[in-house]
Amino acid sequence: MIKKLIVLTGLVSSTLFAQVKTDVEVPYISYEIKMGKGFDAVNANCLMCHSFGYIINQGPQSRKFWDEKINKMIVHFKAPIEKEAHETVLNYLYKHYGNGKLK
Amino acid sequence: MKRRDFFKTSIAASAAIVGSSLSAGVTTQPVDGRKISEVAFPEKIPMITYSDRPPLLESTRSAFTKSLTPNDEFFVRWHLPDIPTYIDPDAYTIKIDGLVDRELNISLKSLKHDFEQVEVTAVLQCGGNSRSAFHPVAGGIQWGSGAMGCAKWKGVRLSDILDRAGLKKDAKWIGFNGKEKAAYYESPNFIRELHLEELDDHVILAYEMNGEDLPYLNGYPLRLVIPGYYSDSWVKMMSHITVTNEYKSLFFMDTAYRIPDNDTESETPENRSKTTKPIAKMNVKSVIGYPLNGAKIAHNSQLVVRGVAFDSGLGIKDVLVSVDDGVTWESSLLDNSAGRYAFKAFRFSFKPSGYGKLNIMAKAVNRLGEEQPLAKDVLWNHGGYKYNGIDTVMVEVV
Repeated sequence: MIKKLIVLTGLVSSTLFAQVKTDVEVPYISYEIKMGKGFDAVNANCLMCHSFGYIINQGPQSRKFWDEKINKMIVHFKAPIEKEAHETVLNYLYKHYGNGKLK
Repeated sequence: MKRRDFFKTSIAASAAIVGSSLSAGVTTQPVDGRKISEVAFPEKIPMITYSDRPPLLESTRSAFTKSLTPNDEFFVRWHLPDIPTYIDPDAYTIKIDGLVDRELNISLKSLKHDFEQVEVTAVLQCGGNSRSAFHPVAGGIQWGSGAMGCAKWKGVRLSDILDRAGLKKDAKWIGFNGKEKAAYYESPNFIRELHLEELDDHVILAYEMNGEDLPYLNGYPLRLVIPGYYSDSWVKMMSHITVTNEYKSLFFMDTAYRIPDNDTESETPENRSKTTKPIAKMNVKSVIGYPLNGAKIAHNSQLVVRGVAFDSGLGIKDVLVSVDDGVTWESSLLDNSAGRYAFKAFRFSFKPSGYGKLNIMAKAVNRLGEEQPLAKDVLWNHGGYKYNGIDTVMVEVV
């Protein structure tokens, strides 16, 4: 197994030198957003943690899929999404990024 | 980021998804040729950009004509929104604790000087690469075929570090944690666990990629490299290794990156598999880097098709190319291998003799005789993982 790794002879003599010496800035990208009822709730509850691109690039999905995604954010990622907001966000996502299927 | 920014009309909506009316469990060629963002991310050229927070960047097809993928074109996939944007290499350390004889805090400098330095060329591929091939749309980012790349990684063997720390007798699981953080402190960290048996001498902690420091977005200053495995366990900005004797239940292990636990690793949307397993090792796959879909090729001029092929490290034996819709296949020329975990670049030269639309197909075969299925024969799974259909590019001969 070991022979497949090339063992480098001699020690690395270079001093530590980062190719980026200052902080990097991750740019902000503006994704096209479909405005409508419930977007305020999306803005307040979803975009804290991730971009709008992360939502729309999941592709069109069923109501159940979006419901499970919101649940995942609450259960696994501990997002403090209230019950009412859950429903509002779900309605918005299904209306604008749904595939027309409930399941 | 100001709230009003959300209300601007799009400047860079780079990856609009079009709905599909295909029936259940159909697989096609992945989406190709998505728009490249006008905005470049740090140390990168402009790439297909699915999300800025966390950054999700895809390479274009043209990146896959050679066996090493340039750092500035290499795909990016993070899970959590808060990534350190400044790291002081002189102060950076990695901690090793848990069931070890000696807890260690190793500085980058010590890592580069006090351990044997090794290199391995290996493919890094997201388990969801090519997910857009699956219909109905599988959950997750709808990647084309560019959530992969191959680099020469340099670093230190994980086993050497664990030896230095000394594993206790009952050590079984190794947990890896990087520096990315969630917005809420209760959110789970992106921790991965691997069984000791999965970790051979090829697993390294890498600080260098293709002869340069790792780019920030690829995990500077240190990331795990697990040749042959999908990238979900290649933890970036690695800061902490913990040795345990029992498996801890973790979201990123138990829920994400899993496929049906059956022989065909498949299910249907109506009848989902009750049991799942980690995606683990990569299957045999190839992608054509040139020509691009829709290219115009001059009649009777020599065309050299180029691409890359790989598997989990068993080794690519052959890449077959068809220019008659799969009726006949011919072997392509393979490059001198950079090792069994690397992209094997292939090239196939021919003169298109007809006119009009022409499909160019590539099919990789490994040493076990495993070969890529036709796209339509790739079976569906709900996470859209492990797509490896025969890649097809359509050109027009004029």
